[in-house]
Amino acid sequence: MDGRTTYEAQRGVHTVTADLVDDVFRRLQQEGFQEIALEFAKENVEQIRFSASSTDLHNYWDEENLSVFATRNGRTVSTVIKDPASIDQAIIRLKEVALRTPENPSFVSINREQQTYGKGMASHFQSTDLKDLQDAMINGSLAAGAERAAGLIYNRNSEITVRTSYNECQFSTGGVEGVIRAFKGPFTGQEAQHFGFSTSPTGKTFEEMGSEAAATASATSQMSEINPGKFRVLLSPYVMGNILSYSSGFLSYYAVETGLSCFAGMLEKEVSTGEFSLYDDPADYSGVGSRMCDDEGTPTSRLEIIGRGKLKSYLHSTSTAIRAGTRTTGNAGIISPRAWQLSLNAGKTSLEDMLEGLENGLLINNAWYTRFQDYRNGVFSTVPRDGVFLIKDGEIQGALSGIRISDSVMDILKNVTAISRERKRVKWWEEISASTMPYAMVDGINISKAF
Amino acid sequence: MGGELIDRALEYASRSSRYSEARYMEILTNDLSYRNSEFEGMDSGKESGYAVRVVNNSIAMAYCDREDWGRLKEAIDHAVKVSRKPGKSSIWEGKSIKDSWKVNQRKLIEDMSVEEKVTLARDFDSLMKAAGADVRMNVIHDKRIKQHYVNSVGSDIRGDVARLYYFYMVGVIENGEFEQSTKEYGSSSGYEYLDSLNLEERITSDVRDLHESASAPRPSPGKFDVIVGPEISGIVAHESCGHPTEYDRIVGREGALAGESFLTGKKFPFRIGSENVSVIDDPTIQGSFGYYRYDDEGVASRKRYLYRKGYTDEFILNRESASMIGKDSNAGGRSSSWDMEPLARMSTTYIEPGDYRFEELFEGVRKGIYIKSFTEWNIDDIRFNEKYVGKEAYLITNGDLSGRVRRPVIETTTINFYSAVDAVGRDLEFSAGMCGKGDPEQGVDVWMGGPHMRLREVYIQ
Repeated sequence: MDGRTTYEAQRGVHTVTADLVDDVFRRLQQEGFQEIALEFAKENVEQIRFSASSTDLHNYWDEENLSVFATRNGRTVSTVIKDPASIDQAIIRLKEVALRTPENPSFVSINREQQTYGKGMASHFQSTDLKDLQDAMINGSLAAGAERAAGLIYNRNSEITVRTSYNECQFSTGGVEGVIRAFKGPFTGQEAQHFGFSTSPTGKTFEEMGSEAAATASATSQMSEINPGKFRVLLSPYVMGNILSYSSGFLSYYAVETGLSCFAGMLEKEVSTGEFSLYDDPADYSGVGSRMCDDEGTPTSRLEIIGRGKLKSYLHSTSTAIRAGTRTTGNAGIISPRAWQLSLNAGKTSLEDMLEGLENGLLINNAWYTRFQDYRNGVFSTVPRDGVFLIKDGEIQGALSGIRISDSVMDILKNVTAISRERKRVKWWEEISASTMPYAMVDGINISKAF
Repeated sequence: MGGELIDRALEYASRSSRYSEARYMEILTNDLSYRNSEFEGMDSGKESGYAVRVVNNSIAMAYCDREDWGRLKEAIDHAVKVSRKPGKSSIWEGKSIKDSWKVNQRKLIEDMSVEEKVTLARDFDSLMKAAGADVRMNVIHDKRIKQHYVNSVGSDIRGDVARLYYFYMVGVIENGEFEQSTKEYGSSSGYEYLDSLNLEERITSDVRDLHESASAPRPSPGKFDVIVGPEISGIVAHESCGHPTEYDRIVGREGALAGESFLTGKKFPFRIGSENVSVIDDPTIQGSFGYYRYDDEGVASRKRYLYRKGYTDEFILNRESASMIGKDSNAGGRSSSWDMEPLARMSTTYIEPGDYRFEELFEGVRKGIYIKSFTEWNIDDIRFNEKYVGKEAYLITNGDLSGRVRRPVIETTTINFYSAVDAVGRDLEFSAGMCGKGDPEQGVDVWMGGPHMRLREVYIQ
């Protein structure tokens, strides 16, 4: 070992990380900053994008960021330093801001306890021929009946150092993620998965994603119509991922304290049914959302947020935890905590049995454009897409278009009647953060439609 | 300003590619926020880096944030290598342009002291509190962008942009009922923009309206004549005209993300609604949030009619999509940062004003609803099926306002909406927004707007 990270060693890059972090840390101390949290991220990302079954673009990023959070007499400042040559200028600016702004009451402290960290996962990053994976996805979809396909694949690696006034943590995170949308006439199907360092995505996996997306697009050639109303709906892992990704913002104590959370005042109260347990699980290295510590150096762990239907915890940093009279959950954002990698538990029922049990209702495979009219009560709508089916007597009657889920997060969670044994690692664009989700059966979802 | 390696990057990339371009951007930002009367700190950032695009058998882009020739060269080498793999490779090259441009500021962003910015946000919070807002969030963001663009055709363009953005969210609880409002204001200018808005009146009025809306009854579902305010005209212009006329969507390039377009496969011009409706996208409006003289692909900007008298007209084109349709780029190529590809994007998108005075729109409305502003909205991925939930809204009876209603819902289609427009006001207002597209998602600064409009026989839920 010569002091370089795995990534740097692979690429023959000499490390500047330790020197840069040390230098900035020391100079912030010299300027009178009292609590400091630095995060240095060295990122290497490849991407391929495709549509109409051929490549649109290759992207390649080579970036380094040093995120700085520092406090001085109750004032908080933050910045990102990208260029070592701009350190002087950045620190002068931070001091000026700290001298001339009011105190930040949202900040109490970063984590002052000495921490120990696990081994984490070594980076498995290697430059991958994304074109081969892309072709596997496209071919899988075309072979299964799609007329064309669009999508993208990422290969990400981040080497991260978090150094605070009290702790230092180094880890790698990243992996491969892919999305494919298959088109057949007016019908579409979509699959999107992510693979962290403990999993090895293969061309076969990507081919299967393509064929599954095409199978959804080919599930029916009939269109159906419904009137607005309440329906039993089988929500796919993508829809659950979407609703819970957006809802994770409400589970942050920051939103609770602000007055913009539908989960406020619900600790230890029932928010869902007994089969529903939701975790934040950044220690799961099979996903790309893994992370060894949070922004203030607190080790992350599997956090029970909802256990058997009861709200067990909000997401906390040290500051929000002190304000709430509890302990940090390792979810800093120092000012505004956030989830890293949600995981909804597997249920007892097979997907096959759930489909049979649906009898009369809707099956929704994906949703997007989730928007809230009322954060405090969780009232929202979202637009189903990529496989929206009317089910009658357990069979697909036809596809639906022009409908919406127009309901509230709290009502949907309370009406979960079954959760599937099968789960998927889902992540898609800005709509679904990296998570692991099952299918969920929900009774009485309000469906609206366009006139 | 950095960027010393830009010519070397272009020259190096040009040796191994059919077409190439390099862009250097330096972005200085300041953000501060107040939440429920608590100052939440200030973030100051400086980002810079190179984006190099090469075209061979396919198109590739490399991004590097270091003034380090070895790293930049390595990134370009990677891009050249993968661009030799098969894929789409057509791009409109255009002619050489050499120029520079700048956004004028009167109250310079860099001269605005930290204390002045903090005071602004604090005063907005105090106004909201005095008006009875239970939830208050205020965010002020400013940025300076310096950009240098060169390409293998010989273009060399420098830009210097100042942008200002103010966002707030307020919420009120009235008899146990909650209502919320978000507003965005933005401009390409200095801080003089905020002075021009009369924000004291706007904020106070917004909070007062929320209190009244919270205790108003929901409307009975049914058909109404509807008068929509400029805020709704603007979001409609943006969502159901601007997005579906981005030509990269029409050809499917956003297929797995933001989606395609209901115009895909249509013969043009395609009828989208009433002849009363024309929609414009215009990046040349000085001071607008989406203002630019040259786009991020070095193409001179100009006004574009997207819909004209009820039919499609132009599409929004960047260099790549222009080559697909066989036309010149009309300067729609925008990227949100140095490390993002330029996509076909909107700037200021608005419904062209008509002849009607505000009062005239109400004449002849026997049973109607005036929906002045909106809260929740969304639209499907082909930009056809859309929903707008009213925020400030009133019943109209025989031409007169007859009481508030709460959260009336328009859930309709693009063609049904535009076909129902029978009268267009002569007023014009804009609001700011961050338009999302692409993966990684890029939020670009835009304005959207329009006049008051009257729609006949709209189903309200």
